[in-house]
Amino acid sequence: MSTPASYGETAFTNGYEFTQGAGYCLPEYPFTEPPELKSGEVRRHKVVIVGAGITGLTMACCLARLGVEAVLLDEDNTVGVKGAASRGICYTQKSLEIFHRLGVYERIAAKGIQWSVGRTFAGKDEVYSFDLRKQSNFDRSIQPPFINIQQFYIEGYLVERIYGLGHVDLRWKSRVVGFEQHKDFATLTVETPAGQYKLEAEHVIDASGSHTPFHAWCGATMTSRRGDDRWCIADVRFKNLPPTERHTWIEAPFNGNRAVWQHLMADDVWRIDYQMEPHADPEYVSREEVVRERLRQQFGPDVECEIVWVGPYAYRSQCLDKLRIGSVFFMGDTAKIVSPFGARGGNTGVSDADNLAWKLAAVLKGRAPASLLESYNEERHEAAAQNVQVTNRTARFLRPAEGMERLFRKAAISLARQYHFARQLINTGRMAVANSYTHSSICDRTGGQSVQNVAFRWADGSKGGVNDLLAWADGGLLVLLFGDMPSTACQRLKQLATHAPVHCVQVVGPDNRAGALEHVLDPHGHLQGACHVFGHAWALIRPDGYLAATGESVDTGLIQAVQRSLGIKQ
Amino acid sequence: MKTTLHFQDADTFYEQLLDAHTGLDREQSELLNARLILLLANQIGDARVLGECVAAARTLPPG
Repeated sequence: MSTPASYGETAFTNGYEFTQGAGYCLPEYPFTEPPELKSGEVRRHKVVIVGAGITGLTMACCLARLGVEAVLLDEDNTVGVKGAASRGICYTQKSLEIFHRLGVYERIAAKGIQWSVGRTFAGKDEVYSFDLRKQSNFDRSIQPPFINIQQFYIEGYLVERIYGLGHVDLRWKSRVVGFEQHKDFATLTVETPAGQYKLEAEHVIDASGSHTPFHAWCGATMTSRRGDDRWCIADVRFKNLPPTERHTWIEAPFNGNRAVWQHLMADDVWRIDYQMEPHADPEYVSREEVVRERLRQQFGPDVECEIVWVGPYAYRSQCLDKLRIGSVFFMGDTAKIVSPFGARGGNTGVSDADNLAWKLAAVLKGRAPASLLESYNEERHEAAAQNVQVTNRTARFLRPAEGMERLFRKAAISLARQYHFARQLINTGRMAVANSYTHSSICDRTGGQSVQNVAFRWADGSKGGVNDLLAWADGGLLVLLFGDMPSTACQRLKQLATHAPVHCVQVVGPDNRAGALEHVLDPHGHLQGACHVFGHAWALIRPDGYLAATGESVDTGLIQAVQRSLGIKQ
Repeated sequence: MKTTLHFQDADTFYEQLLDAHTGLDREQSELLNARLILLLANQIGDARVLGECVAAARTLPPG
């Protein structure tokens, strides 16, 4: 059950959104006959996750780490889509910080490729370039701005981690074929190689992807948009490697003046995306000789490469109106679907899972009322809607309508060659960020932002990071108190910690003195900067690394913020 | 959005605008206009003002 990837015979096929191929050989996991099939008993579970993609597995791993029992159902017995695309390739700092908390980051970092330089071209000329390492907001975290890696590697690492942690019952070859909502739970009918059975779930997590049956079962309403933009992916291994940079062409002379993406991945595999003519024949554009001709056009007539996988795709955008219906929570591609520009698909799913997992754990452990779960929809629907909007804008830039839209793009590109300001109009994808929550009922207006995993020093001088503090808080809330510690504040915090799931730490800056509370050292003010506070202040941080609120003095305002962040109505 | 007079010299600007289009075909003129809109928009910068200007440009007077 380790996670190797070998490369099989290339398959050139013509699926519309997914191809079947044999390019990647994926690990397989064993089907075990579930106890319900033997006993005939219908068991009620607190949490059932449907779909072992990156979102469902992140959810399962988050719950396992918090010690919450769950069942994970997946219709397949592998990660990835068998023999098919490498799918997602680009993982953001926020996702990497989450994977670090889950204990799989080191493997991802060892296998994946870090990059920070991106270049955008139009015609033969570079329009602009950027270096993420030089952008100040990225360099504070212990994790890099991005790592590129084939999605199935991360999924494989998560599976192995979940097996190691326990608590989650991984059920492979288990397809959900029926659903019934009752007052406080749902009944699922599951089809397996050994027969059908039913199970009950108080919370159903639908992470089954864009073809989910749960939308119809739950009567979900949504906004969808489907365009005529067509692309063809080629995953390629070169004999002579291109530079370790992300290159994007808005108008590539070697692709009929249409767009091209050139991205790197693990195993020296490169993802080249070619924009096709609208309504291009997917079968034709993914034929080996056609793909090889495109590669020769791009890299020269003597290019030597092995084609690992080829697949045409079209995309749609879709956003559910509500991410929770009855017992069912929608996350990942069941919550929203975006075009691939800016890596806002999988990364959003990872954050969806991280958002719901701690809330579910707090409710199931009796630390918070069930109403806390309503904030999942508030927060992640805002993120979904924003990611749909951002990616739709990119799609519109890359496939402008004929007439005025194309004219404005031409104007923007010509200005970008001349003037710095106009580069901002060139939209080849706005890279995913940790979405902020601006109208969450559990965040104060001072909160809602993600706190980066910045470094500090423990009291003994050794190095620590925000994730270590979150691990110490163990699914509870974290209060950081910046500056000196009056004894009244210390007493209040100690009392607070006995009444609520809160861990309190003093953060001692260069001009402060350690008080009676546990403390860490922040000599360069990085931790303070990451919490967006100045001087003497407190910051209330949630288990998902988001700020719930910040304030100045330790008073009833902090108590109220703690209650509010747990969904306790005031 | 300002609706009171803010031009230092409205007649000169209007003349410059017309002169800039002299000798251009329709496609070149459209490109010039688009470039000019983007350049001017960056001078304004303010998102609310820009939004109001776009909305105002769409609203023709009655009659």
